[in-house]
Amino acid sequence: MTERYGLLIDLERCTGCRTCTVACKVEHGIEVGSGIRVETVGGAHPDTPSGTYPNLSMHYLPILCMHCEHVPCRDACPAEAIHRRADGIVLVDPDRCTGCEECIPACPYGALFFDQDKKTVRKCDLCFHRLGAGFEPFCALCCPEEAIRYGDLSDPNSEVSRLIAERNAYVLKPELATGPAIHYCTPKRLALT
Amino acid sequence: MSFARPVMIQPGETVVRTVCPFGCGIACGILAHVRDGRLVRVEPGDFPHTSHVCARGLSVPRLVYHPERLKYPLKRRGPRGEGQWERISWDEAIGIIAEKFTRIGQTYGTQSLAFVSTGVGILANLVTVGFAGACQGIFILPAGLGDSAGPCADMASYGAYQWFGEDYANRFDNPAFCLVWGNNPAVTEPFKWRRIREAKEKGALLVVIDPLFTTTASKADEYIPIRPGTDAALALGMMNVILEKGLHDIAFLTRYTVAPLLVRSDNSLFLRMNDIVLDEAAEYLAWDIRSNAHVAHTAGAEPALTGTYNVNGIPCKPAFQLLSELIRQYPPSRAAEISEVPEDIIRRLATAYATARPAAIYRGMGCTRGSFHGDLSFRAINTLAALTGNVKVESPRNCLYNAAAFLTHGVPGFVTLLQMYETILTGNPHPIKSLWMTRHNLVNQDPNFNKIIRELLPQLELVVVADLFMTTSARYADIILPTCSPFEFDDLAAPIGNGSHDYLQLQQKVIEPLYESRSDLDIYASLAKRMGIDGFLDKTAVEYLEMILASGHPSMEGITLERLREGPSPPEPYDTPPFATPSGRVEFYSERLKPFGQELPVYFEPLESQNRPLAKKYPLTFFSTHPKYRFHSMFANVSWIRELDPEPVLSINPVDAAPRGIHDGNLVRAFNDRGEVQLKARVHQGIRPGLVNLSQGWSPGDYFKGTHQALTHETINPAQAAIYEPNSAFYDTLVEVELVKEAGR
Repeated sequence: MTERYGLLIDLERCTGCRTCTVACKVEHGIEVGSGIRVETVGGAHPDTPSGTYPNLSMHYLPILCMHCEHVPCRDACPAEAIHRRADGIVLVDPDRCTGCEECIPACPYGALFFDQDKKTVRKCDLCFHRLGAGFEPFCALCCPEEAIRYGDLSDPNSEVSRLIAERNAYVLKPELATGPAIHYCTPKRLALT
Repeated sequence: MSFARPVMIQPGETVVRTVCPFGCGIACGILAHVRDGRLVRVEPGDFPHTSHVCARGLSVPRLVYHPERLKYPLKRRGPRGEGQWERISWDEAIGIIAEKFTRIGQTYGTQSLAFVSTGVGILANLVTVGFAGACQGIFILPAGLGDSAGPCADMASYGAYQWFGEDYANRFDNPAFCLVWGNNPAVTEPFKWRRIREAKEKGALLVVIDPLFTTTASKADEYIPIRPGTDAALALGMMNVILEKGLHDIAFLTRYTVAPLLVRSDNSLFLRMNDIVLDEAAEYLAWDIRSNAHVAHTAGAEPALTGTYNVNGIPCKPAFQLLSELIRQYPPSRAAEISEVPEDIIRRLATAYATARPAAIYRGMGCTRGSFHGDLSFRAINTLAALTGNVKVESPRNCLYNAAAFLTHGVPGFVTLLQMYETILTGNPHPIKSLWMTRHNLVNQDPNFNKIIRELLPQLELVVVADLFMTTSARYADIILPTCSPFEFDDLAAPIGNGSHDYLQLQQKVIEPLYESRSDLDIYASLAKRMGIDGFLDKTAVEYLEMILASGHPSMEGITLERLREGPSPPEPYDTPPFATPSGRVEFYSERLKPFGQELPVYFEPLESQNRPLAKKYPLTFFSTHPKYRFHSMFANVSWIRELDPEPVLSINPVDAAPRGIHDGNLVRAFNDRGEVQLKARVHQGIRPGLVNLSQGWSPGDYFKGTHQALTHETINPAQAAIYEPNSAFYDTLVEVELVKEAGR
């Protein structure tokens, strides 16, 4: 059976600390931008809630390449610089990328960005170089809340598969049928009786 | 070196286990990757109990190799603060300082030489204290920089300092209820938050009390907004509900608190055996219900907690009776009126807290900075915990050492940070004429910026700054000395307080000192030599670390450098009483605070609250909370961090913004009689109406005009001064905010 690498991101745990964002910069040598950014689901600015004081709500949503099964960015790339590996990891080949940026609007998740220093489009590569050597992605290693779990989605007994089932995890924009490998689980709340 | 977990190491790299030494006090264990003598990256340590890393920690190489790092000593040219510098040699810098120290010391006495330093490195701080002692000078105790009200409260309640740790009220294995109070640990205290999150994932309820809707609040099952600085009133209201419902823990109160101790009605002091029988010991007394007579408080009696008694003609009440009388003045209706927490919420919260076992309270600096009487806020919360028996009967333990080895040439005089202001202005009790700041950005971070600039600095004949960067303080220096980054020398690091972890760790030298930078030890050693202080600081760093470990405190018994090279070490077990108060019990009644009318945890209105007349002129409370990405003023110059948080903004609720004509992104001016700051407004709902907030640590150059500390004040709370150190009540500050029509940086 072929592996399919993916992540489960626990939004209950995510505190929006952006350690993942900086971890990605460290691992990939990115000066401006990152393969993973953290959006605030709430108000108009980072770390602001929706609602009216004091009835408010806010959570954080890390956004990265979804490593789609059906890859819209690949389809949009005129240079054929984007490919999907057998294990599901979608990569941009920096040698082929011309920096035309046509892939950027094609991604429904806004996960690609133009690296001004390298003059190529960049995105999360799931730290495939680390996975190959038996290490987890650097963002998952550094996440202080252990909110990012990595594993093989094709193995129903992997921790990540088990948690996806247990926590009723979901993918973003399922209506687009892109088949993301990045899954999320949502906050739950108790009540003070 | 081997690691507990697999570590991916690139060819040509070596990995050193060390500590993230940048001042947040948490001391996270990290692995430093080094290639060709250069620190290339950092990742979380391999030791699970200390392992953690944040956006700052990962950016550390950017700080170490920052192009703006100070590279060589500088001497001021032209007027102070105008930014004209001349490069000088270390020899010249040390010569100038030695000459001025000698001259100033001869003119005004050696107690005119003052020193301050901060940071987690034990040796780095000890050498400053030691050098101040060797000069017969003054060491400025820096805890009053917003951090001292908590220790003030806990000294009174428990007889123990607790910095950010909260062992007594929350070190339970599986709390069923987590009450986070004026604290945002999900952002500021990751290890504490880890414990809360784990409890929550096991089913504990999380309730957050805060005027701000913080990240922690966003994770809560219930968020309870409160009027700033009124935490003691809420705690008293909760205690009222608990007493009313009989939910208090009589057994705990009797055994572990001063509840049964008799207090004399004539002088408010505890009744002691030698009050009634001459020549007897000064033992505390209680009233035994069975024998209807006074007994020693340690006797196995059934002591009364309530009522009025007469002991040999002296009218007395048990301390619990006095506490109950205070609590009865705060029914939920009154607590609600003061705190603006609705009465029904106070009732529900009190009941939930008192009936969950164990229930943990995680207090924060929102309480202790939120009011000039922040220590009373904490004491009221401590009393709430004691009333319900939610107090761990065990003193926190740390790796402690004896500083004597560094005080061989004298012990400095000590002045607290806030008392420094008056001392410099009046020359009383010490004629301070020189100030040396090591990694303490005093001019940027301490209250009342304009007073520092306009009144304090002109009194000083010499200002020396030893730091990594041209900080705001360095800009006002006469001599600037470039110090090593903590990756460039050996030290020991223990976390400040117990809120994170208890481990002592080796801060290993990872790279050689960059440029002409020197370690604190080297700087003071060469200055001591030049000043003719013989035999002082003449050993190597490693020799001093061994001396610290072997300084004789049982917490470090048997901990060696070899052991620390293998990994962190917890403190060795040592004997210490659970409560080191005068009575050995939890003291919700403190005799020492009687002169201030604060023997009980009373509620006092904040100094600059919205109920004060000053609020007519300045109606908004001004907070300056800890930043999410910087550590105070540090890391603001690191591009990766700047990308996450590019500029200062003033949070303001639409309710306050609209009548002032302020829209999101407008340039605004926050001001009061002390000063002003100009920055962009961020209009959003996550902030309480009547309150404005910015994340502190920005430097004057980051604002359009002014600076946030121009608004704050250094008023001394005498009760805090008597018990420990007076605190900067940064958030007990009123301002007005207005739209700035014309921008002009």
